[in-house]
Amino acid sequence: MSFKTASEGYVKYQGLGNWAFVLHRLTGLGVILFLAIHVVDTAFVYFAPDLYKEAIALYRSPLFGLGEILLVLSIIYHGLNGLRVIYFDMVNPNMWTIEINRKSVIWTWIITLVLWLPAAVVMGSHILEHLGG
Amino acid sequence: MQVTLKILRYNPEKDAQPHYERYTLDAEPTDRILDVLEKIKAHEDGTLTFRRSCAHGICGSCAMRINGRNRLACKTLLQTLDTSKEITVEPILGLPRVKDLVVDMTTFFDNYKKVMPYFVNDEPLPEDGRERLQSPEERERFDDTTKCILCGACTTACPTFWADNSYVGPSAIVNAHRFIFDSRDRAAAERLKILAGESGVFRCRTAFNCTEACPREIDITKAIAEVKRAIITGRLD
Repeated sequence: MSFKTASEGYVKYQGLGNWAFVLHRLTGLGVILFLAIHVVDTAFVYFAPDLYKEAIALYRSPLFGLGEILLVLSIIYHGLNGLRVIYFDMVNPNMWTIEINRKSVIWTWIITLVLWLPAAVVMGSHILEHLGG
Repeated sequence: MQVTLKILRYNPEKDAQPHYERYTLDAEPTDRILDVLEKIKAHEDGTLTFRRSCAHGICGSCAMRINGRNRLACKTLLQTLDTSKEITVEPILGLPRVKDLVVDMTTFFDNYKKVMPYFVNDEPLPEDGRERLQSPEERERFDDTTKCILCGACTTACPTFWADNSYVGPSAIVNAHRFIFDSRDRAAAERLKILAGESGVFRCRTAFNCTEACPREIDITKAIAEVKRAIITGRLD
């Protein structure tokens, strides 16, 4: 009906499926935002080398470091959840039952965390090293 | 026991915006949300407006958002909810509000009509001039999707429909599925063509809200996936 209606549903509607969907959307937007920034800053190498150096210096700040940790989370979740949906939808529609769907959402979150945590620790320790040095 | 309902009220003749009102009253754990709404209307505020008809989960009139999920008020017992907290009751989302819990279902039924939700077969009747027979297996193929009562709980739980109600929605696809996979029907190709269009099945993002919302426990997401596959493969198996 409208952006307002959709936003109300995204925020207020209850259920694991809805939360998995909303998280998929948010992480997808996050990854697109990163790609857009990345294309622009890489273009600086050719068009404005000085700006490129400034951009790289900016990316070394702890705030961007945290952003990169969240970016890794976004990519892992968006990819895994996408594969989950493709498998159910295109390969085995018989698995679209409430119980299996709920379990699959929870497993997707668990696998996402298991894959993300080591990366977050390594990246987080790099940020701390930079802050210390 | 005491129960508090927080109901989204809206009177277009008086209110600029919808607002919540709270009603606390005595109720039994075996009362349904519909019973509590009836009590409020009878004893607390006669202006409270909602749709109801059969009160037995078959007419599909009383779909509403109860604690953030679409359900039928007549099938939701208080004992299945946490009555120590307020129970939030709001109209289904994505259709224009008419008054309080009543929404305008016109778009919903327009979408339903788009998928030709009726039996099509212009071939001559069998020699005995009676019914067109099918095997129990052929009947079983679409049994699940015959159960739809057109309450709108699925379509108004769908994130794609919230954003754009030109999308036909889960309910219309369920009713298309019911005829597409019926061995006696002859318009499957036509329906699949409609559903392959830009308002059709490929707008589905498999959020699964429809299946969770269905008071008839239809595996809606599965039905949608089967229609998607029929379009992609061109087969009805």
